Amino acid sequence: MRVELAEIRDFLAPLPPFSLLDADALDALPAQLAVRYLRRGSDFPPAGEAPALYVVRKGAIERRDAHGSLVDVFADGDVVDATAADDDGSRRVAVEDSLLYLLPAPALQALRRAQPAVDAHFARSAAERLRHARRPSDGDDAADADALLRPVGELATRAPVTAPPTLSIREAARRMSAARVSALMIVDDGRLAGIVTDRDLRRRCLATGLPAEAAVASIMSAPVAAIDPESPAFEALLAMTRRGIHHLPLVDAGGVRGLVSSSDLLRGQRAGSVQLARRIRRCASPAELAAAAGELPELQLRLVAAGAGAAQVGHALTALYDALACRLLELAESELGPPPVPYAWAACGSQGRHEQTLRSDQDNALIVHDDFRPEAHGAWFAALAQAVADGLDACGLRYCPGRVMASTADWRQPVRVWSERFAEWIRAADKRSAMLAANFLDLRVVRGDPALLAPVHATVVRECARHESFVAQMTANALENRPPLGFFRQLLLVRGGTATDAFDVKRGGLLPISDLARVHALAAGCAEIGTLPRLRAAAGGPTLSAYGARELAEAFEFLGGLRLRHQSAQLRRGEAPDNLIAPASLGRLERAELKAAFAVIERQQAVMAQRYAARSAT
Amino acid sequence: MIRRLAGELRRRWLLARAPAGPRRDFLAAPWPPGGLPCAAARYLALDLETTGGDPQQHEIVSLGWVCLDGPRIDLGSARRRIVRIAGAMSAESATVHAITDDEAAAGVPLDAALRELLAALAGRVLIAHYAPTERGFVDAACRRLLGGGIAIPAIDTLDIARRLMPPGQAPAPGSLRLGTLRRHYGLPRYPAHDALSDALAAAELFLAQLGAAPRPPTLAEWLA
Repeated sequence: MRVELAEIRDFLAPLPPFSLLDADALDALPAQLAVRYLRRGSDFPPAGEAPALYVVRKGAIERRDAHGSLVDVFADGDVVDATAADDDGSRRVAVEDSLLYLLPAPALQALRRAQPAVDAHFARSAAERLRHARRPSDGDDAADADALLRPVGELATRAPVTAPPTLSIREAARRMSAARVSALMIVDDGRLAGIVTDRDLRRRCLATGLPAEAAVASIMSAPVAAIDPESPAFEALLAMTRRGIHHLPLVDAGGVRGLVSSSDLLRGQRAGSVQLARRIRRCASPAELAAAAGELPELQLRLVAAGAGAAQVGHALTALYDALACRLLELAESELGPPPVPYAWAACGSQGRHEQTLRSDQDNALIVHDDFRPEAHGAWFAALAQAVADGLDACGLRYCPGRVMASTADWRQPVRVWSERFAEWIRAADKRSAMLAANFLDLRVVRGDPALLAPVHATVVRECARHESFVAQMTANALENRPPLGFFRQLLLVRGGTATDAFDVKRGGLLPISDLARVHALAAGCAEIGTLPRLRAAAGGPTLSAYGARELAEAFEFLGGLRLRHQSAQLRRGEAPDNLIAPASLGRLERAELKAAFAVIERQQAVMAQRYAARSAT
Repeated sequence: MIRRLAGELRRRWLLARAPAGPRRDFLAAPWPPGGLPCAAARYLALDLETTGGDPQQHEIVSLGWVCLDGPRIDLGSARRRIVRIAGAMSAESATVHAITDDEAAAGVPLDAALRELLAALAGRVLIAHYAPTERGFVDAACRRLLGGGIAIPAIDTLDIARRLMPPGQAPAPGSLRLGTLRRHYGLPRYPAHDALSDALAAAELFLAQLGAAPRPPTLAEWLA
């Protein structure tokens, strides 16, 4: 039978949760819908309608809270859940003439019962939804320096999984599931005819409504790139990076030998960063270091192509920037002579948290032994700090605009002064001092004696416990960067109702989570510095539920991955990486997941705000 | 008001003379009262694809319809029927409707499609864009296959579009076409010349017109 209402089905097909439906269920979907037209200015949901899930076909629905401030906007292709009444006093209104499709609640319930994937979509917490959306990343960390020079055939970890072109799509999918692979090689008469990936099943079969009985050849990618298993692994990696693919069949004169995936090559990539670190340690001048640092963008690209996640890339880059700083310090020392008193060079900010990205700002400080005498030793440390700051700038880490770096006299102090200064900041508990203290809570020794930092840290912990007002001020600061509300067509909606065409993924997503994690860690007395370790350590503690910690961590990793993909695309285009993402460049699913991440931050900020409001009231 | 009254009288006159059968069943349902607000009435939006413009001479190729209960379109009621027609399709109309002779040959007899339509339409008001076509062809088909004519209450979205224009303004050429009017109301583009798509398109246009009316109309005001 020819599918009636195919036009409506095709409109719904790519929209989650309908994108999760199998082809039959998708075909049957339109007949379960009703259509409503809402005139601009009418209340949503329309009066007299039973609870339903709505899809905006055309138009726009706004939600405002009890105070009248804009909370959300739903436009073309957005799904609005009105299966339960809003009990938060908010009001929804059609702000444009809107054509709406509605799926009545009983039909939605039936769909959830019949389609486990749809049920999971609704049942899943926001955190799990984000985890689902995140790119897979490889967890093992074996590092073989020569992996990239070995024949690629040795890196392929699985026996080849193949199918004839005539096999049905359903059977092919079964075969992939059984072998637990995400790519299937289509082999015709011993010859490689094409390749089918999970993505093809979704995009070329499910989304287009192609019957599962069709031949798998109809959805395969062909012609397909292949490589001789005897070729060096780096060639396979280059081929994948160039084509933007994650699987490469291994084919020689005898036929199909196997399949190598990008994660198979990740080990080799780790080795890439190890090799670069080695090279950095052998550099003889700041100029050579700057040249070595010039390979960092390339390294990031290859890490990402190989499937590394944001946390892994952050660690790799931090390790290399640490290595650069160490080598610059060594070179400066060999110029200036040995240090007059012991010192520790510490990184703060994202480098301190092991969350370094390319082209960020310098954030560092010098902690000098208490034997330090300014008149005798000041010049040596000033020269050291200046040399390193200049060297780092040449390596792509810009001077800090706020001058929070060791080359500023204020940020070179003996242990005693640092301790006093922290104590002072904590007692003052004003906005600026809390901000400075927060920055220095991310302090991590890169080179020198970690024992120099310990007393400073002990002071911070002691004083914080005594000064609730400081924690309150730090909390207030942490709540200052609010996530955006969501999207409206190609614009990003921010609080207050103004829309912009760029989303600052750092300020509007990553920083708020880092700030929350820092406050929670402080309240729980955890010494961890990284955002994810802090969330893990503070989970189930006095201020953060295990659930809250998990959903914040998922959101953080999702946003980090988003930034990574954005910056990788910029690097490939030869642009300088930044944090500004255009909503227009985001896919529908990415938008939905991003909105879920905003909601997580919003929720956890609200929880924290309530907690501190309640505490300051008592 | 007069139109509704005349139509209702015609229905009673036809009912009194109709033998038992689908036509009588249809005529037995009284027209909804003229004072009923349009937002509260029940409708069936219909579109016919035909081999030409003359109900006496040309044939119905396909029918598409969808029901509305007040301001709510029920997509579960959507139907599309291809008719197995007697004469060969002209190449021209086959191109327009994208229905080939093979498809038409695999269709249902007009008689079956007509009975199904009348059963769905009973007690409802017809919605069509330029209703004389749909009314004319259904009436002609009833005369040919069911032994006599029929009376169908109808709202013509083209007629409503004309009435909703500022007084004294003549419509620009093409401005009353279904697609143009839909664009005017910000409705999505649908593939044209598919009977069901066009029926749904007319139904949505009707809802948009209902929303745009200066005050809520009654059936008597809007019936064609």
